[in-house]
Amino acid sequence: MAVKALKAVSQGRNGVGAFILQCKRIDLHYCDWAGSSRGMNGFIKSLLPKFAAAHPQIEFTISPRPAKHPVAIGHYINGRSKPICVRNMEPYEILKKLELLRDASGEKLKKVTKPVRSINESVRGIWSPYHGNGMQL
Amino acid sequence: MSRTLLRSLLELRATAPRPSTLRPTFTTVTTTRSLHQTPSQIGPPSPTPSQSSAPLPPSSPPNPSSLPPRQGGAPRTTSPATPQTLQLLPLLALQPGNKYLQLYIQGQAYLVTPGDQIRLPFKMPGVSPGDVLRLNRATAIGSRDFTLKGSPYVDESLFECRAVVEGTEAEPMRLKIKKKQRCRRTKTVRSKHKYTVLRVSEVRILVPEGQAQGQQQ
Repeated sequence: MAVKALKAVSQGRNGVGAFILQCKRIDLHYCDWAGSSRGMNGFIKSLLPKFAAAHPQIEFTISPRPAKHPVAIGHYINGRSKPICVRNMEPYEILKKLELLRDASGEKLKKVTKPVRSINESVRGIWSPYHGNGMQL
Repeated sequence: MSRTLLRSLLELRATAPRPSTLRPTFTTVTTTRSLHQTPSQIGPPSPTPSQSSAPLPPSSPPNPSSLPPRQGGAPRTTSPATPQTLQLLPLLALQPGNKYLQLYIQGQAYLVTPGDQIRLPFKMPGVSPGDVLRLNRATAIGSRDFTLKGSPYVDESLFECRAVVEGTEAEPMRLKIKKKQRCRRTKTVRSKHKYTVLRVSEVRILVPEGQAQGQQQ
């Protein structure tokens, strides 16, 4: 990560105003010769045009990588990337992996114990013993 | 108007016991996509949250005619609000600051304010990032000083809550090593659960036209 000179004044909350898909680019690499790329080659021919047309907000780049296993790499707005090796996979399995890349936020996987994450202040405030009507004993 | 008075008035809203075999749907999708919540995806019937079966005061007997008529097997909507609730609702709606909602999704409660992120404990089928869900089951709506409690759910025409599907997240791979005594063999079980992440984009309290001039955020 680059050094940040200025501290952010506001935190992004995707979806509150506009929704922006976090995945901005997906790189696909294949090999013409190797057998592990057979599914990837079929995917690029058959399923990729439809998937790419359905997601105009994602840039798809396809490039050969000879003598290597096929790989799909998702690049995200937060600067991270998520590579998935798709060797020996069938085209529909690769489609599942691309949907995973599309749905991911790009963040590192974390264990979350609390279901709601909020940056708002407490609605009802902090309880105070010095305010209110008091309790009759 | 004190909060206790509001509460006591709202407790009069206790409705007649509803059949436990019916379970209301928890979301409706408002995008152009087809309705994802098909009846087959709704889980097996489970007992509804505890009914407020406290004895009703004689002044307000339960009015069965006010409940919506059931149409063959369709999930019943929330019970309509009583006149007392509608009369007191503007007090809640006019309060400054955020409102909070106690949402119910698949039997679990989430206390949310606008802008919050909810990580559901499951992967919601059939949704993709950017879809907008209208969440219509809440057990409480509240502001700084007032709370409207449902029995068990608040009338869905009194509030509007929308959430955007942000995507699907996963947890780090879980590894569980299975080892038996006096046996060298170990087995490693791997699992990685997926979760749908929602962002609450909008929370509004809808005051009916007859009760107040305007509606507030």
